[in-house]
Amino acid sequence: MSSLLKLEKLSFSYGDLRVLWDVDLEVHPGEIVTVVGSNGAGKSTTLRNISRLVKPEAGTLTFDGHDLTRLESHQVVGLGVIQVPEGRRIFPEMTVLENLRMGSYVKATRADRERNVARAFSLFPRLEERQKQLGGTMSGGEQQMLAIARGLMGNPRLLLLDEPSLGLSPLFVKNIFDIIKEINRQGVTILLVEQNVFQSLRIAHRAYVLETGRVVLTGAGEQLLKDDHIKKAYLGM
Amino acid sequence: MRPALPPMLRAPRGAAVLPLLLFAAALAALGFLPLWMTSPYALHVMVLIFLAVIQGESWNVLGGYTGQYSVGHAAYFGIGAYATMMLLQYHHLAPWWGVWVSVAVAVGLGVVIGSITFRLRGPYFVLASIAVAEIIRLIALNWTDVTNGAEGILLSDIPPLTIGGRLITDFMSKVPFYYVGLALAAMTIAVNWGVQHSKLGYYFQAIREDQDAAHSLGISLTFYKNVALAISAFFTAASGAFYALYVGFVDPSTVLTVDTSVQIVLICIIGGIGTILGPVVGALVLVPLSEALRSNVIADGLFQLGVSENSRTGQFLKENLAHAHVLIYGVLVVVVILFMPEGVLGFVKGLRRRFAGKAALPAKGEA
Repeated sequence: MSSLLKLEKLSFSYGDLRVLWDVDLEVHPGEIVTVVGSNGAGKSTTLRNISRLVKPEAGTLTFDGHDLTRLESHQVVGLGVIQVPEGRRIFPEMTVLENLRMGSYVKATRADRERNVARAFSLFPRLEERQKQLGGTMSGGEQQMLAIARGLMGNPRLLLLDEPSLGLSPLFVKNIFDIIKEINRQGVTILLVEQNVFQSLRIAHRAYVLETGRVVLTGAGEQLLKDDHIKKAYLGM
Repeated sequence: MRPALPPMLRAPRGAAVLPLLLFAAALAALGFLPLWMTSPYALHVMVLIFLAVIQGESWNVLGGYTGQYSVGHAAYFGIGAYATMMLLQYHHLAPWWGVWVSVAVAVGLGVVIGSITFRLRGPYFVLASIAVAEIIRLIALNWTDVTNGAEGILLSDIPPLTIGGRLITDFMSKVPFYYVGLALAAMTIAVNWGVQHSKLGYYFQAIREDQDAAHSLGISLTFYKNVALAISAFFTAASGAFYALYVGFVDPSTVLTVDTSVQIVLICIIGGIGTILGPVVGALVLVPLSEALRSNVIADGLFQLGVSENSRTGQFLKENLAHAHVLIYGVLVVVVILFMPEGVLGFVKGLRRRFAGKAALPAKGEA
């Protein structure tokens, strides 16, 4: 199977501080791939490289045959690589519906706007109830739903999720992961970055474990759940 | 599948009829005002108010809607003023042509400056904007061959405006300036209305609310910030040209200082940042306030209330209050900012919400 996204020997530094060391990563169409690791392992930095918020230092970054290192971040979005940023980052002074509409900024997606709003509302009925409420007045979980729904408005071919469970109540965490699975079932390829190792390995087809900027382990999600190192270091078993 | 949601997905249009009527009525009333309000001083105050409205509304596009707090708008104001004056005084280019050149220069320079400074965020952008304006001021001050340096440029006269041989105005009275100011003010208000109700405005507001989120949706930050700056610089430069022709004199210390920049920002802060009418309210508060303090109404009022004009206190007030007008102005501005952090408009909205909200708390009640 050919890969949708491919990172080869990707390296990156913040100034003098090397954060990523020769990261190899692949996402095939239709997959949920997760990158897990502890704080500061380089997970978010990997995503920031892919969405070109920062410029990779060395290595290649290919999406569907396009060399992402040559593109600007808004062009990457145009290709259908859409990042749901960490910490939700919704527009607090806009209503839920306005937030969603902002999600179909890219010209090609505007024609599908109504269909995508309907899809967002069917995935997140809560958002339909609250469509006229200001984004900033909603709970953390609702804001996370909105951030994901807004990402879906751009017809993603690859959805990059950065710590979607961050700061949510345990009940909501499970809910969010189920929704991610459902979004994937509807045909959206997902690259998920998470600190919640158990939940993300549970839903992921494949996973990469990042430690201090290096890929130390890779394999199928369920297989890694049984791995001794993972159990010890991340699951506390 | 649920039914489609067309009405909500379109920008609301029908709701704009009443404000539009009010706007037209206000314009008509102001249009007829000079017919009976003939006092030159009253006209002068009105022109100053229009100038403040134009400046505030122009700044609002960049600072209010896009969230880029420029404290260097004196640069565009000054360029508009200087370029128009230089073209008129040294090259005899009529101001209604010269203003286009000056505006083009301001916009062009703005985009160059913007492309560099928009990489900075928050306070760093503010500092950079101040620095750029200071650079322009120092250039105007020291490039004596072109700008006449600290002496400034004194306008000898404005050529009369004729269309097809018919004299429209000779710019001798304040009335033509009143109408030009009114037209420009109306135009900038319309531009703000357009920004607030257009797709472009949504992108601006998205950048203001959270530029990283906007970036992640594919909105090119530098491009849209530059568009906002171009619109803003365009009208700020026009206001500078208007000011220069009205006063007939420019020098670096009147049109290019940080004072000018701060004054422009204050109009919006006092009225309400990021609202269409905020700068209008700000201008209506600040200009009369500053004029009143300058003409020493406080001392006059105290004398009316029975303080003897010839007593020692009376003498003290008479001599010092007029000089302290800048101080009092500053204190009042601080008070307004402290107690109305969202400006006068935000304060009024808050009051209305408080009184209306007692009956039925809408948003929170449902949640």
